Amino acid sequence: MWYIWDLSIVLSALSLTIMLVLIVRRVLQERRGVAEADQRRFLLTALIAFTENRDREALKAALLSVPASVAIDAGFEFISLLRGEEHEDVVAAFNECGLPTLVARQLERGNGAERVHAAEMLAALRSENAVVSLLSALDRDRSREVRIAVAIALCDVGALPPLGIALRKIGVAGQRSRRLIELFRRFPPKRFEELEDHARRQDAVPFTRAAAIDALARSGGFRFADFFARAAGDPSPEVAAAALRALGLTGHANAPAILVQAMGNGDWDVRADAANAASRLGLSDLAAPLVRLLDDEAWTVRYAAANALRSFGQPGERILREIAASEVSRSQRTASLILAEGPAA
Amino acid sequence: MFDWSREVVLAATVLSWFIIGAGLAQTAVYLLQLIIAAYALSKRPPVARSALLWHRYGDVAPPIALLVPAYNEEVNVVESVHSMLALEYPNFEVIVINDGSKDQTLQSLIDAFRLVKFHRPYEEALAHKPIRGLYSSPMTERLFVVDKENGGKADAQNAGLNVCRAPLFCVIDGDSILEPDALMRAAQPFIDDPERTIAVGGTIRIANGSRVEAGRVREIHLPGRLLALFQVVEYLRAFLMARLAWSRINTLMLVSGAFGVFRRAEVVAVGGFTKGSMGEDMDLVIKLHRHMRDAQRKYRIQFIPEPVCWTEAPETLSVLARQRTRWQRGALECFFRYRSMLFNPRYGRVGFLGFGHILVVDVLGPVAEVLGYVLIPAFWLLGILSTEYLLAFTSLTFTYGVCVSVCSLVLEEAELQRFPRARDLALLTVVAVIENFGYRQLNNFWRVKGWWQYLRGNQGWGEMTRTGLTGVKK
Repeated sequence: MWYIWDLSIVLSALSLTIMLVLIVRRVLQERRGVAEADQRRFLLTALIAFTENRDREALKAALLSVPASVAIDAGFEFISLLRGEEHEDVVAAFNECGLPTLVARQLERGNGAERVHAAEMLAALRSENAVVSLLSALDRDRSREVRIAVAIALCDVGALPPLGIALRKIGVAGQRSRRLIELFRRFPPKRFEELEDHARRQDAVPFTRAAAIDALARSGGFRFADFFARAAGDPSPEVAAAALRALGLTGHANAPAILVQAMGNGDWDVRADAANAASRLGLSDLAAPLVRLLDDEAWTVRYAAANALRSFGQPGERILREIAASEVSRSQRTASLILAEGPAA
Repeated sequence: MFDWSREVVLAATVLSWFIIGAGLAQTAVYLLQLIIAAYALSKRPPVARSALLWHRYGDVAPPIALLVPAYNEEVNVVESVHSMLALEYPNFEVIVINDGSKDQTLQSLIDAFRLVKFHRPYEEALAHKPIRGLYSSPMTERLFVVDKENGGKADAQNAGLNVCRAPLFCVIDGDSILEPDALMRAAQPFIDDPERTIAVGGTIRIANGSRVEAGRVREIHLPGRLLALFQVVEYLRAFLMARLAWSRINTLMLVSGAFGVFRRAEVVAVGGFTKGSMGEDMDLVIKLHRHMRDAQRKYRIQFIPEPVCWTEAPETLSVLARQRTRWQRGALECFFRYRSMLFNPRYGRVGFLGFGHILVVDVLGPVAEVLGYVLIPAFWLLGILSTEYLLAFTSLTFTYGVCVSVCSLVLEEAELQRFPRARDLALLTVVAVIENFGYRQLNNFWRVKGWWQYLRGNQGWGEMTRTGLTGVKK
């Protein structure tokens, strides 16, 4: 019986002791927080003064007079606001004070959130040893979110390993993150061929192949139009849809034939993207297949087709009005709804 | 002659063991939650600053539609919509669904945002009461108002789901306030794992006592009233401990209807929100689990603690009682509606752990606890239970309750620290102790009342009187 009493006493004593410790810790943190806010204000003032007088020694003295964590934290935010020569000078001052070494340590020893942030800071500070630390983290870090952040940072400092290797290090699970879209969009033009090669690979994760096509379409432009035209027929709907979106941006001599074929695809995403691409490219010759899509079983496809017809101007609107005036059907309802879209009369 | 005393002792022993068994099961559940929640928080520490999130995720954040059902919300709705329109997220729209309000909800919106009637084609994917009109605002492209006939919260949400175009939607109550970065934080799992993530819940916190201005919580304070303070500790326990733990093992059975983000396609595939349901939020999550398990698709339903939605807690016993009995009826309704999933190997850990948890905590828990409060003293009076055991067990019950509450405060303090002052923490510690003496029993009494109402088929929601968050503290 006594063990029940003992257990009760232990539980209550433990609870109250822990809370007491946490309350004391919080009081200390409150005091430290006030001091850190002051130091942060002091450093930001010094950084602003530096942009006016370019006195690097004064800035370094200010950086060294506050705790490194405050300097790194406030500095990173400030650096992200600067451009050009000012940016380079502030970064140089941070490097001369040895702050990137501390960030590199945070990349090794911090918790997950801190390690992701450390990767971003290392990219911003561009120190000599940043690449070594980042490559080591890409190899060893146990968190895929951190490895993706490190890959993005490496891309920013121009030291990302060949894409195939980088993706292998990120791991298969990480290859479904939308952060990879961010990584691909940061690729320098001279490495676009790597993205194209990856997008071609049938054994790669469709999500990453589609992301590579989207990135090429945004930055690569017409030089990849032939590749997009071929990829529009890819067996993976995700890849085919991305290629159609890309074609909608770049255009292609065979675009009408490719889009007509895609409008008959079994996947509604592909059909909708084909209709959207026809709209973007202003291919009014595709009115007939678009009219057929007004009867599609998927609302998204019907809506995209009707929108495409409407985007063709008067000829498209005339077709829609004729269908809207015809007997009741799915096409008729879609056409009526699209024509009515907008402020009520 | 028949020995009645022996039969009474036997019955008392059986009942006692039922009460002790249910208590031990609940204890085990709480302990398990605590350990898993602590592990989850250590594995995924929160990102402190929202500026970093924007920098990191701004370009790849998927579009989100905020669905805001509003019924007689004229007090709060305009301010709530203003705060939603000011959210820090790159691509979102706000769809307010006026569910046939009898007050001036629609007119307040028309006046505040100069709304005009608008035609917007949409798919009739889900059935709902007729829509009387759609409105848009010349002041902002992000706002749409759906005016429809009254059909209840789930019906309104289904109408909003039909009208919205984004691949993700966020449900939020018309009287709640989202923190500016809440959407960005809630979208994170959809960015990190877009194929598998189908729903994400965030934390609901109590705004009573805080300073609210222009639809934002400007200064966090604890409520001045004891009843609301009890609920602060209760919410911490529910969100930081329970949901975090269940989310970690992918058996989260509830994403709060006050703030949750869902993938539209999957919600439409399960038929949207169940109309007339008392617990439409729990019902939807269970349907999603069933749908994904039946289709043998990999999926995640997650809870992340950092995105915060502020809400007004009831400050009177009568309103709180109505809320709690309704929640209890909702849990029971879902449990019995989907009872075939309980311990069904087809549904894996959802059937065993998720439904097992509802069985222990929501179905049996309140009954066993109230029985314990009534029968244990009765047994002692009848001389069946010795005084020593009565005192020892009572003491253990209360100290364990205190320990669980304190541990949820520890999780909050160790990782999130949303209460700004040390004295808040001290006050919450005191509240975590005293809530076990009176409030906890009252809560269980309301839950048993909810059981009774459920058995009698009572389907009423009850009136929720609100003072409005702006009236909380100026």
